[in-house]
Amino acid sequence: MTIALFEPFEHVPAYPLVFPVFWGAFAVFALVVARHVRVWAAAHPGGPAPFERVPARAWGVVRYTIAQTRMFRDPRAGVMHYALFLGSTILLIGNINAVTGGIPQAVVGWPLDGILWTALVAIQNAVAIAALIGVAWAFERRLVSRPPRLLLTRTAIVILLMIAVVVSTELLAQAFEAAAWGDIPGAFVANALAIPLAGLDEAWLEAGFAVLWWGHVVALGAFLIWIPTNKHFHIYTSFVNVWLRRLTPRGRLPVMDLEVEDATFGLRTLADLGWKDILDGFTCTECGRCTDACPANRTGKTLDPRGLIMGIRRMSTAAERGIDIVPDSPAVREIRGSDDTRPDPSLLAAPLLDGAIDYDAVWDCVTCGACVESCPVLIEHVEKIVGIRRNLVLDESRFPHEATAAFTGMERSGNPWGQPASTRLDWTKGLAFPVPVARDLAATGRLRDIEVLYWVGCAAAFDDRARRTARAFATCLDAAGVRFAVLGQEEACSGDPARRMGNEYVFQMLAMQNVETLKKYDPPTIVTACPHCFNTLSHEYPDFGGTFTVVHHSAYLARLLADGRLTPGAAGTAASAPAVAAGSDAPGRPAGRTVTVHDSCYIARYNGIVSEPRAVVGALPGVRIREMERNGRQTFCCGAGGGRMWMDETRGTRINEERTRQALETGAQVVAVECPFCMTMVGDGLATAGAADGVVALDIAELLAEAVAPR
Amino acid sequence: MRIVVLAKPVPDTTGTERLGDDLRLDRLSSPPIVNPNDEYAVEQAIRLVEAHGGEITLLTMAPPGATETMRKALAMGAHGGLLVTDDALAGACALATTRVLAAALATLDHDLVLAGAASADGGAGVVAAGIAAIRGLPYLSYAGSVEVLGDRVRIHRLHATGYTVLEAPLPAFVVVTQMVGEPRYASLKGIMAARSRQIRSVSLADLGLDPAEVGGSAATTRVLAARRPAERGATRVVRGSPAEVAREIVDLLDERRLL
Repeated sequence: MTIALFEPFEHVPAYPLVFPVFWGAFAVFALVVARHVRVWAAAHPGGPAPFERVPARAWGVVRYTIAQTRMFRDPRAGVMHYALFLGSTILLIGNINAVTGGIPQAVVGWPLDGILWTALVAIQNAVAIAALIGVAWAFERRLVSRPPRLLLTRTAIVILLMIAVVVSTELLAQAFEAAAWGDIPGAFVANALAIPLAGLDEAWLEAGFAVLWWGHVVALGAFLIWIPTNKHFHIYTSFVNVWLRRLTPRGRLPVMDLEVEDATFGLRTLADLGWKDILDGFTCTECGRCTDACPANRTGKTLDPRGLIMGIRRMSTAAERGIDIVPDSPAVREIRGSDDTRPDPSLLAAPLLDGAIDYDAVWDCVTCGACVESCPVLIEHVEKIVGIRRNLVLDESRFPHEATAAFTGMERSGNPWGQPASTRLDWTKGLAFPVPVARDLAATGRLRDIEVLYWVGCAAAFDDRARRTARAFATCLDAAGVRFAVLGQEEACSGDPARRMGNEYVFQMLAMQNVETLKKYDPPTIVTACPHCFNTLSHEYPDFGGTFTVVHHSAYLARLLADGRLTPGAAGTAASAPAVAAGSDAPGRPAGRTVTVHDSCYIARYNGIVSEPRAVVGALPGVRIREMERNGRQTFCCGAGGGRMWMDETRGTRINEERTRQALETGAQVVAVECPFCMTMVGDGLATAGAADGVVALDIAELLAEAVAPR
Repeated sequence: MRIVVLAKPVPDTTGTERLGDDLRLDRLSSPPIVNPNDEYAVEQAIRLVEAHGGEITLLTMAPPGATETMRKALAMGAHGGLLVTDDALAGACALATTRVLAAALATLDHDLVLAGAASADGGAGVVAAGIAAIRGLPYLSYAGSVEVLGDRVRIHRLHATGYTVLEAPLPAFVVVTQMVGEPRYASLKGIMAARSRQIRSVSLADLGLDPAEVGGSAATTRVLAARRPAERGATRVVRGSPAEVAREIVDLLDERRLL
């Protein structure tokens, strides 16, 4: 069976008008989009390379936009959204058919006596019903159940109404067509709807069909023109945004060239953003998952990740002022008298501060990445915030004054505490075994024997509580017979706090110094108990010529356990021995403790290391793990990331107390941590919450040390 | 307005300082920083220039490597520097330093001279007053705030119980306290700008001074001995609920008859 072009539309009055009506609207759509692009094109050059690593990019599109894995983390929203997604993709077949004179139908309907087309019609009918249910559900969410993260805006309501109109007019037009001229093959819903209509006068049916069919096309055209001006634009941009997503490790911030004279450092204005950053703004659907996940926002601070992204879109749209919708051409120029199609430089120079985010919010961020992790369309918030910090610090020297001490400490003493390097090994005093220093081993030619270099980190070197963790970890290494060494005085801060506080200058200074030191000893593996050092050493030092194998201590301990080099309770008495190895915070306790694992952002979320700390804790005799609601990649920051460790938390409530509350809710007796900063924050949180109930924070190394080296 | 700020490189006091056999500081083991008290003077100078316009010149007497340290103050916002450096100055006493800096100051145009209260290393605290005396400048010390009103400078001199308002005609010498405001952290813009700013080095001969009078050989004071302070006893951390901690601390203080 062959279907000629136009044949499916023989009942549509004035069908050829569809070309000027719809394709006219399409042209306007294209012009509106082109005007957006004019601003993007004026943004800072440099951005993703779209044709690099194509398979990975394509896989991302499948995973995030077709399968929408992140949407289904909230199953209700996921199902609802998928119905609408199918509505706008599957129904595209019928829409394209309607506005092209039936090309898809002519092609697909040709083989197998048109079975394929009939099937497509049936699928579209089913999808139309699903989409209408989806719309109803979406209305219910916006208006009735109203999850807090959703904004009740007129735009959101109009978008839903437009979807309802576009889908229902098409379906009803089919129903009237079926009632007037007989069943449409495959259109089972429309055909069923036609049954009650059959009694109507034929003229009414024909008129109803005409009105509905044209109503559908006009609504489609109107919707199309309107879409690029609002959040619904994501139906196009999210594919592009996901394709262009960053494929480098999420924990790697972009390197700045600090030697450029007369440059703006970091992000100050709209034009300092890369075009992909602005595209992020046009991909945002205002779903609020980022803001909902944000620990700063959750504790009553001004930071609103969604607001930042929406602000970028608002600023970009505002920068279109004065650009004609019709592109530059001699004819247009003559008529309109305008000859500049580029955005007004003064609008491009609008500052991001106050335009998209306020000063306090910039410093509220803990760079925990919960926003980035939650975004279904892979918008990057953290990089932008750090970019703005970079501008504030490097250009204007404007930052919370408490940060000065940390900056000065890192710059002068190589650690944010400003402690002398000569005390870096104080934590080793009194250990029952020697802790070899790399320089000494190198001097006697024994450096080649080491299995790992233990990168201690500043916290474990200078903070009393973290020193106990270092002692416990070294005890584990010693118990497993691992040949290790430390850098001692030659170690300096990894630079993570400086970098995330926007002080790229100090970061690069430290990074280069450390890379040089590490290259000198060229260790086979570096192990560290600090997630920030881990992330920076493994993902950021390669940009400075230092590519090393870096392992977090959770993974290293898990490996020692798996290899049988460590056996918890091997001493026979471990399970019942008083837990003294970890220090005075761990009073003797019989076996059968419940432990909750507090994941570090830079380990779990940034680096996907989730099962390893649990393997360590789970290997302990008689320990039961009780998870918090937010765990693993969805972990909730302790409040110390992004350099917040060295700033006062004066706005809202305290993040560490909120996280501690979540930990206490599990009823666990021990909060296991894997980061010295988490230790400080959770420890403080427990003290504030009243540690009378005996809940303690212990590093996983401390828990393990109790079991492998009872004393 | 032309402001001269005395900015002395001092060793970063991190506890790693070492003294050589001659009881003088082993400068290689302690990277120098700008004397922290002088940073407040630099900050005050920058604020005055921001308000009234003008230029800030750093004045330093130190070994040649001091230019690196001076750049840190330039990065904060000073405009240039004069470094008096001469091998003969090694071991110079406070009196000699005063004479040399006074002679160097005479070569600089200035409406106002600022300095911090004392240096973190020598700590004599007399050089500023000495220079003012030699140069015949009005000397206003312990300034908690500094204001320039036309051709006069007005300060609040801090006391334990309040302050006195003092005024003097320019040019004048003001010694500031840390109350004038936290020194700013140099921006990268500032660091880059500082690279191209000029630090002029002069010798004793350039200033027309005789090494025999102001050099180390003519020192009026001599270091006889230097000793490390005894290690402090271990810190005791009191833990518990606020009420328990308070009670225990009161008991401890009571025990030591400190209450």
